Amino acid sequence: MRFCRVRSVAEAVDELSRWGTEGRILAGGTDVMPQYLRDEQSPAALIDISGIDGLQGISEVGGVTSVGALVTLRRLATASLIAMRHPALAQAAAAVGGWQTQTVATLGGNVCSGAPWADTVPALLIADAQMMLVSKSGRRRMNLGEFLEGAGATALRPTELLRAVELEPVGDRSAEGYVKVGRRSAMDLAAVGLALRLSLTPTGVVSDIRIAVCGGTRSPHRVPSVESAVVGSQLDDGRLDWAAAGAELASAAAPERTEAARYRRQVLPGLLSRLADRCVAGIPGECG
Amino acid sequence: MPGTADEQSVSVRVMVNDRAHQLDVDAGEVLLGTLRDRLGLTGPKEACGEGECGACTVLVDGGPVASCILAAGSTNGRVVRTVEGLAGTDELTTLQQAFVRHAAVQCGYCTPGVLMVLTALLDDVPEPTETDVRRALAGNICRCTGYQQIVEAALEAAGTVQS
Amino acid sequence: MSVLGTSPDRSDADAKLRGQAIFGADLARTGMLWAALARSPVAAGRIRAIDPAPALRVDGVLEVLTSADVPDWRTGVIVSDTPLLAADYVAYEGEPVAVVVAESRAAAEAGSRAVAFDIEATEPVSTPEQALAPGARLVHPDWNRFAVAGGADIGRDGNVVAEVVHDPGDLDEAFAAADVVVEGTYRTPRQYQAHLEPKMALATYESGRYTIEVSHQYPFRLRDRVAQITGVAPSAVRVVGHHIGGGFGAKLDVSLEAFAALLARRFRRPVRMQHTALEERLVAPCRSNAIVAVRSAVRRDGTILATEVEIVSDSGAYANNGPALSSIPMFVFGSIYRVGTARIRTRNVYTNTAPTGAYRGVNGPWLVFANERHMDAIADALGRDRRDFRLASLARDGDLMRNGQRLEEVSILREAFDRVEGVASWRDAVARSSQSAEAVTDVLRGAGQAAAIWLTNPMPGHATVKLNEDGTATVITSATENGSGAVATGLRQIAAEALGLAANDVMVTMPDTDATGYDAGSQGSRTTHVVGRAIADAAADVRSQVLDRASQMLEAAPEDLVIADGVVTVAGVPAANLTLGAVAQAATWSDGPIAAGASYVTPTPAHDPMCATGMLITGWPTPTYHLHQAEVSVDTVTGRVTVDRYVVCQEVGRAIHPDAVAGQIQGGVAQGLGFALCERVDLDHGRYVQRTFKAHGLPLAEDVPKVEMIVMEHADPAGPYGAKGAAEPPIVPVAAAIANAVSDAIGVPMDTLPITPEAVLEALEAEPNGEAVARAAREPVLNRDGEQRRETTGRAS
Repeated sequence: MRFCRVRSVAEAVDELSRWGTEGRILAGGTDVMPQYLRDEQSPAALIDISGIDGLQGISEVGGVTSVGALVTLRRLATASLIAMRHPALAQAAAAVGGWQTQTVATLGGNVCSGAPWADTVPALLIADAQMMLVSKSGRRRMNLGEFLEGAGATALRPTELLRAVELEPVGDRSAEGYVKVGRRSAMDLAAVGLALRLSLTPTGVVSDIRIAVCGGTRSPHRVPSVESAVVGSQLDDGRLDWAAAGAELASAAAPERTEAARYRRQVLPGLLSRLADRCVAGIPGECG
Repeated sequence: MPGTADEQSVSVRVMVNDRAHQLDVDAGEVLLGTLRDRLGLTGPKEACGEGECGACTVLVDGGPVASCILAAGSTNGRVVRTVEGLAGTDELTTLQQAFVRHAAVQCGYCTPGVLMVLTALLDDVPEPTETDVRRALAGNICRCTGYQQIVEAALEAAGTVQS
Repeated sequence: MSVLGTSPDRSDADAKLRGQAIFGADLARTGMLWAALARSPVAAGRIRAIDPAPALRVDGVLEVLTSADVPDWRTGVIVSDTPLLAADYVAYEGEPVAVVVAESRAAAEAGSRAVAFDIEATEPVSTPEQALAPGARLVHPDWNRFAVAGGADIGRDGNVVAEVVHDPGDLDEAFAAADVVVEGTYRTPRQYQAHLEPKMALATYESGRYTIEVSHQYPFRLRDRVAQITGVAPSAVRVVGHHIGGGFGAKLDVSLEAFAALLARRFRRPVRMQHTALEERLVAPCRSNAIVAVRSAVRRDGTILATEVEIVSDSGAYANNGPALSSIPMFVFGSIYRVGTARIRTRNVYTNTAPTGAYRGVNGPWLVFANERHMDAIADALGRDRRDFRLASLARDGDLMRNGQRLEEVSILREAFDRVEGVASWRDAVARSSQSAEAVTDVLRGAGQAAAIWLTNPMPGHATVKLNEDGTATVITSATENGSGAVATGLRQIAAEALGLAANDVMVTMPDTDATGYDAGSQGSRTTHVVGRAIADAAADVRSQVLDRASQMLEAAPEDLVIADGVVTVAGVPAANLTLGAVAQAATWSDGPIAAGASYVTPTPAHDPMCATGMLITGWPTPTYHLHQAEVSVDTVTGRVTVDRYVVCQEVGRAIHPDAVAGQIQGGVAQGLGFALCERVDLDHGRYVQRTFKAHGLPLAEDVPKVEMIVMEHADPAGPYGAKGAAEPPIVPVAAAIANAVSDAIGVPMDTLPITPEAVLEALEAEPNGEAVARAAREPVLNRDGEQRRETTGRAS
């Protein structure tokens, strides 16, 4: 195996086109290295992109947040811009593993793993994330929902690199959050992860709602059937009866006939109601 | 396959405990192996081998990292601190002394990693709450102590509680 | 001033905090080879062929050995059933089949993965139920040819490794006279020790002797086991101990050491071995999984007339210490509470799974879980307050345990109930539980208690105490410091107290079987009590030698001399004094160096040898007394359990080092919480499901509450300064107390561990209205007039 250290995006895409499916991108390495050490992966080359400065930034320009692929989960969890504009993402990043993982694990790695339990992905999905991809043949952008192609699979081509993720910040009279359920206080893969962005009109009507889940057997995903059922609902004394939405969420997000799916079905309704109340309480003028 | 002949090496310049090293490491080598086998620093411990238990924790550019799954090749140009680099040959640090006073060491195998995380925490958050301390330790398994004496030592070292 | 009851610094703290302490896993020797085991990939099967060729092609591999190349006899602690390398058949996934020797660790491990097996897999005997089923395949077809240590009759029969039966006669009359019959079945999984330091061995062979360097809890057993396996006399094996990165019972028997020894001899070079992370969990000698069925005949006044207990525990593929542990139910049922006439049968059975073994508290956590869940079930059936019912049922001083041993101070348990009540009112806790059941929130609260009587391991120890010529003292012993501080503080304090020294003036050697008397290792909280007693006796001898010498030097009678703070003084004449160093110097160059040795083994308590068949542990020496009380919250949305409050009242004889005792209690409770709530060790067709460390789900810092502690001291006349054991038992009642609290909170009996969020939600969903369920479960079986409403209770029955 070769270790190819690259310093720029140009060098990176050169190496990627050279190695193709035989190369693996190494950023924080918290997925790649354990897989290699367990003999589950034996690439011909590790392409170490961790030194590319151009992929490290967080910025907000023209109402769009751009997060570089190499931004670590620790930075996402602690950066003030993320805390203000993307609180669900900050909460999701803080929910991944322990501090040791968050120090080196990157947003790009979490997304490109395609893992069904990738905590940051639901938080990105509710921010309508766009994947900014680059290869020797040029750049393209892709909606995150389309980028995810099932458990462990993404639309990322072997010769392609994720540069950044572009996000729509949470607006006025909107709030969002992420909750994760695992057996322990931390460190477990999400049995269920739920991200919610909720927007209200001044009169308390749900003008927009985005719900995304992770932890199942498929890629993290939005749940449009619940979203469309809730949009237009009127809050009553700061509350909404989430029972119907919860039931729909449970059956839409955990249809499998496994024990794990059964647990997710049991948890999701209450979790949605709990997270929604928290979001409503976070919107000025709503007591929740 | 890890550690076998088809591995090529890569050159790394890395500062470890204030000393500069120029090393050729294997492509698939992890930092823990470099520290223990090449530099003789056996303070960071080998345990779960999958970045779950924290016994191998070192600081890389000030942040705690599981060295058992960190590619050594990716530490080029970085600053690494291990438990040996905390007190060096001097008196124990305030945190280490608090560990002695609070009987926060039992078998001691998790201790080097725990110390590194708490050192980073006290650098980041000068007055951590008990919740801050417990959350910071999420990536560190201590099977002996049940954590309480460790948490108390950290809080005392932070000056959050008086001894 | 006494050094007892103070908390001086550990002798190993500085080295451990600097990362300087060399653990077994840190050891290296110039010129050493590495070896690694190739292990069976299947749970059961016939070995048709083993092809070492692919392994030999790995660069750096020197040799591959199979069963034909190593001693072919079977060995074991109790039953000699375990081959060094499997020859004809494999009996569990992970069983050693070949050993690969190489110039490097990486090559050895790569070689071990490359060995090609041709194994005809057979359907494994996966569970104890399958093992006991009529016509079950025998895990070991030639089981009756295996030798048993001492020729003991332990009730072996096919897949039954051992059977212990206590049968005092007919229980039918008692059951016929009962107002209520309460029955329950209590199921518990395995538990993984999860010591962080992997098992390892470093062996050399020089001049006809093996030296094994290792981090091991019981160097003398290791010496004997390596001798047994390699076919040499025990004196041809020397075991040298190093710092131990956790053991909790997992490092009490041989693992890699005999392989390393044989290879060191074969290659005349040091040989190093170490488990990979995966091997650690595939072959860890977990706490046995178990099924405990309890059936009690109860009168409406709360008297338990008779109890029938049927236990099956899983030995895995080899016997290990399962036969001995099968005696322990005899000391749980009918010792803590009066349970009437009791019939107890325990069967330990072979399955095609990794052998189980010793984990802190061995069978205690699941036996107490069954005993205490059952007490709650009876109290609920009678409509009695659970604490009141326990107090009414508590054993009394003078009662006999099932082995006929007299309970001399069981009234300490009654004191424990009072002491716990003094800090955490049961009535208030129960009130919080009822309030939460009535309130419309997503939190249910509950409270639970569990009591235990645990032993202090009696096995032999020896210590030599020598007074150094500078007035310090050294204790020479192979007692092992397994983290508890028993050696790093406790033994030093005991010697210091006897000699009038500061704890820092006492050193303790690392284990070395060549240099010290026999020691039975770090197990069952024995070190402080047994080795401490040997040290106290040896130090008393040293002290009298000091006084003899000093009396000549100071021209005063020995009885007029006082030793304190390292100085011998004539009582009432402060100016007439000598440092201990001066006395030691003088003694060394006149009568000779001052030193003394002493041995101790706790006598087996008087008991009835006819009480049961198959018993290998016949008495319950130096008992200690324990009451735990837990308060929990259950999140009805996620099913997660949070421990709001945890109180331990523990009797220790005498707390030599209070901070170390506190560390053992806190740490034991943490392990118990893991067993109760979040840890997983599951088997599927004989193979472990959890293949990563992460999957085991060990408790994290945020999962463990600060434990409130009440330490009671009732000095044991035989113990050093009254000390009994303290380290092992804090784990024993935890799962029981937690399960009782969760069952109380959700109103559904939780009789199977672990109580995962999934299990909680399943239980709640079975009865969707939590409030109604809570009432139903409490609904007594007897109505107000004491008439029986239904025959039995308990969902599990």
